[in-house]
Amino acid sequence: MRPILLQGHERALTQVKYNKDGDLLFSVSKDHVICVWYSQNGERLGTYNGHQGAVWTIDPNPSSTILASGGADNTIRLWDMKTGKLFKTWEFPTAVKRVEFTEDGLFVLGTTEERMGHLGTIVVYPVNPDIEGEQVNEPSLRIVCETKKKAVVAAWSYLGKYIIAGHEDGSVSQYDGKTGEQLLNVPVHERGMLIMDMQMSADKTYFITASKDKSAKIIDVKTLNILKKFETDTPLNTAALTAKKEFVILGGGQEAMNVTTTSARQGKFEARFYHKIFEDEIGRVRGHFGPLNTIAVHPAGVSYASGGEDGYVRLHHFDKGYFDFMYEVERTRAQH
Amino acid sequence: MASQRREWAEDEEFDDPNALPQNQVISNPDGTKTTITYRLSDSGKKIKTTRKIKISVVKERVNPRVAERREWAKFGREQGHPPGPDMSTTTVGENILFKPSLQWKAVEKEEEATGALKTQLKDKKVSCRICQGDHFTARCPFKDTLAPVGEAPPDESRPDSPDLGAGGGATGGSYVPPHLRNKGKDAGAGSSSFNAGRERDDLATLRVTNLSEFAEEQDLRDMFERFGRVTRVFLAKDRDTGRAKGFAFVSYQDRLDAQRACEKMDGFGYGHLILKVEFAKRSQ
Repeated sequence: MRPILLQGHERALTQVKYNKDGDLLFSVSKDHVICVWYSQNGERLGTYNGHQGAVWTIDPNPSSTILASGGADNTIRLWDMKTGKLFKTWEFPTAVKRVEFTEDGLFVLGTTEERMGHLGTIVVYPVNPDIEGEQVNEPSLRIVCETKKKAVVAAWSYLGKYIIAGHEDGSVSQYDGKTGEQLLNVPVHERGMLIMDMQMSADKTYFITASKDKSAKIIDVKTLNILKKFETDTPLNTAALTAKKEFVILGGGQEAMNVTTTSARQGKFEARFYHKIFEDEIGRVRGHFGPLNTIAVHPAGVSYASGGEDGYVRLHHFDKGYFDFMYEVERTRAQH
Repeated sequence: MASQRREWAEDEEFDDPNALPQNQVISNPDGTKTTITYRLSDSGKKIKTTRKIKISVVKERVNPRVAERREWAKFGREQGHPPGPDMSTTTVGENILFKPSLQWKAVEKEEEATGALKTQLKDKKVSCRICQGDHFTARCPFKDTLAPVGEAPPDESRPDSPDLGAGGGATGGSYVPPHLRNKGKDAGAGSSSFNAGRERDDLATLRVTNLSEFAEEQDLRDMFERFGRVTRVFLAKDRDTGRAKGFAFVSYQDRLDAQRACEKMDGFGYGHLILKVEFAKRSQ
């Protein structure tokens, strides 16, 4: 497996994401720039310039025409994916930490920080798929989180039925996607341990969370029951579910502020592969020399990209050994 | 009319010394193409680059949406750049061996251990002072019989000719460093009985030099066995490359055989080189 190194950013990566067809890879970092790459060969297609601060999050819409991004300049921006043109900006009182489109691409949600007297919120905007058309100015839904319980990450469930949010106190909430009413709130991670990342499965019926409490959990969308639990020895920043193979990839490492005091080996800056069902660790991929901030898996499961605090995106195309790996039970089952 | 005719000296055909020849593209019969390009280097030298290119078409079926996006023009910081990955942003990393397995921890530990041993020995080269082999001097098969290779002065002070030793060290053909000049005398005079037990061995040992680096121990054995029973053959090899270092020791059971072999094999052609065979010198 020969990784492709993408050096488009000058500062720490904050999120990487594939589009739905998996041919494009988007990366954002604290250096204000959004990059888009061809996932096949690592060629940079372009950059989206306009953010005035660190870009925290990004999401391409399902038809790969519009790109939404949110950043520390307190805006959510919509871009024409093909030309890199900015066509809509929504402003907020605080930074935006997460944006995500619904499966039909008609709504986008965003989470805003709790800061300077403003409470953390989850906002939902309808999006006009026509880039030339008019976009609304006001959110269709606004969920306000309790104090000290801002939503860090949020995602849509299947059919946009629920909004699932991960909070800074380690709990996960389920809101009604239409009314914004809080239906459930379950403390899944240790109290006070930030949920750093949340990624939905392909069918959006379950999701994986990564937390500073050194564990990742797979949780059912409907009941918020914990289905699987992956314990590691380092704070986690990101967790991803792989397609095609039943694995999860976890990334993390020493906190960025402590990195200089430890060697790369001790820093545990590796992507860890766990078996999704059996919860065993089955391997690690080294390469970054800073903590992994974000991991994304190709929707077809053929490659994965990881972005680190070191400013690099490493794009790995899996080779045969990866696809061949099977547990004994899987193998006997496959033979029958 | 006359004014229109140009002097031959003004002819533009006249070669500019810096003019570069036309680039060439030659199609080879095996389907490859050879392109020859010329350019000027920074120091003004002409550089001819010949590339042989084989174009293989890899067909891949993709979603039409994906195919359409492949054609998108570059924008933002990439605006105007030609298609294809740019070396300044896209590079290929080192190969990573990633094979998922339940025992990955054990496998990794093993690799680490061997890696650590290697790095430990990386800058410490073990080299025998006697035969330059890749073992410690104490383990050298010739430690009792031979002098260290580099510092060995021709030590003629064999116990069977002690009178020759005293003079030979100083007046012999080759130079003997002062700190070694008396040693031969001492050994000859003082500890001849100590060495007596070992002398049979080194009396029958030949030193073969000017060996080719592709020499094999078995070849040597075959060659030297023609003259008598060979008790051991030692071919010095480089421990990194595994190739011969150019010398070997051959021990015979009988000194007469060794004597004969020495006479016959000195000057014998082996490989592409002429062997030099002499009696090995004793260690001190």
